[in-house]
Amino acid sequence: MPSKMKTCEDHRTALTDAAAAAVQPSLELRLHLDACASCRAAFAEEMQLFAAIDTGLHATANAKVPSSLFPRVRAQLNERPVPGRTWAPAFAAIGIIATLVVAIVFVHGHRRAGAESNLQTNTATRDPAPTEIPDALAPAVALSRTQAAKREPDHRRLVTSGNQVERVFVLIPAGQKRAVDALLAGLRNGGAKADVLVAEHSEQLSQDTQLSPLTISPIEIKPLAIVSEESAPEKDKTNR
Amino acid sequence: MQELVLIQPGRTAEKEFAQEAAAAALRREFEERLTECGPLAYRVARGLLRNSADAEDVAQEALLRAYRGFERLRDRSRFRAWLVRIAFRLAIDRARSSKRREVRETLWSQSAPRPSTEDLAATSEFQKHLDRAMEELPEKHRLVLLLAAMQGHSLEEVAEMLGLPMGTVKSRLFFARKQLAEKLRCHRK
Repeated sequence: MPSKMKTCEDHRTALTDAAAAAVQPSLELRLHLDACASCRAAFAEEMQLFAAIDTGLHATANAKVPSSLFPRVRAQLNERPVPGRTWAPAFAAIGIIATLVVAIVFVHGHRRAGAESNLQTNTATRDPAPTEIPDALAPAVALSRTQAAKREPDHRRLVTSGNQVERVFVLIPAGQKRAVDALLAGLRNGGAKADVLVAEHSEQLSQDTQLSPLTISPIEIKPLAIVSEESAPEKDKTNR
Repeated sequence: MQELVLIQPGRTAEKEFAQEAAAAALRREFEERLTECGPLAYRVARGLLRNSADAEDVAQEALLRAYRGFERLRDRSRFRAWLVRIAFRLAIDRARSSKRREVRETLWSQSAPRPSTEDLAATSEFQKHLDRAMEELPEKHRLVLLLAAMQGHSLEEVAEMLGLPMGTVKSRLFFARKQLAEKLRCHRK
């Protein structure tokens, strides 16, 4: 099968490439150049252009070095101290980084300690000891630590949204304990959704909890006969 | 009350002497390299900046930096390549900053800085176009063109200096020349 004949335009690209690479054109190209005068002229022009470029590049790349360069460099070398392996910058950098790390750790620890101490003082002032509250009235409930830290002094909040928990005591009437337990279980499991349950902590309630235990006076027991005698005339009166 | 300080004069002097000797040896070795490779640093800078004064400054800075790091250079035979890279990077930085400065200065004054006599003599019309076309080339192509155009540098040496494979150097050179020709075709006589 005969190969497709190349046009002059096809050869032009190959000519430019040959001139750019500064290599001899291929045999096929040389044969074409022998036959085609216009391509020969174009190739000559290309070669001329690249020769001009090379001349310009040569002039640029081989510029005469000014005589002042070396004395200047030598003078600078004499002025500057002898180079040596100095560790001072490295040590300085390490020192700065270490100081920063220590400072960050210290500040973080300090804040944490402060928050914990605040939390302890808050719980100590706000929450009476669990022994002061009867067990039947005060079931322990796990609450969020962060929310508990933000509690207002006059309220007690029951929060179930956080993962961190803290024991907070809530007064619940004895008859409703089972229902509240069920609600809390639902909140923990995610069955019931609620962010905050707020229970008013009235002064009355706290006063009540500080009352002395109920004392019952001994009951006087009377014989039944006496009771029936005393009540008989009254019965007669009503019958009449 | 006087303080007594224990010193070891013999050892201190010995140490100082050793340090001085090492520094002198280092300086001698660097001086040899300076004479051999100094022009290379200047020409790389000059080829990129097209200004003799700027090129001299850059070459000086490159040589001083090379001296500062000379002790740490493990393979001293790589000094030329190392110096070329330092000079090239400094020249690129200088070119960028001078471009910014030029923009700032043209806002205040229309008169451009006058080129030196040497620059004027070297600048023909075609050379001007060539310089402009060179500026538009990618930096890595420009460096290959310059190093290949320098006297006494074969392509193998250029490849070794830049730490590139021979094929990469050849292709960069080819594309750079082709791009230059495309830009300069309309300016040829």
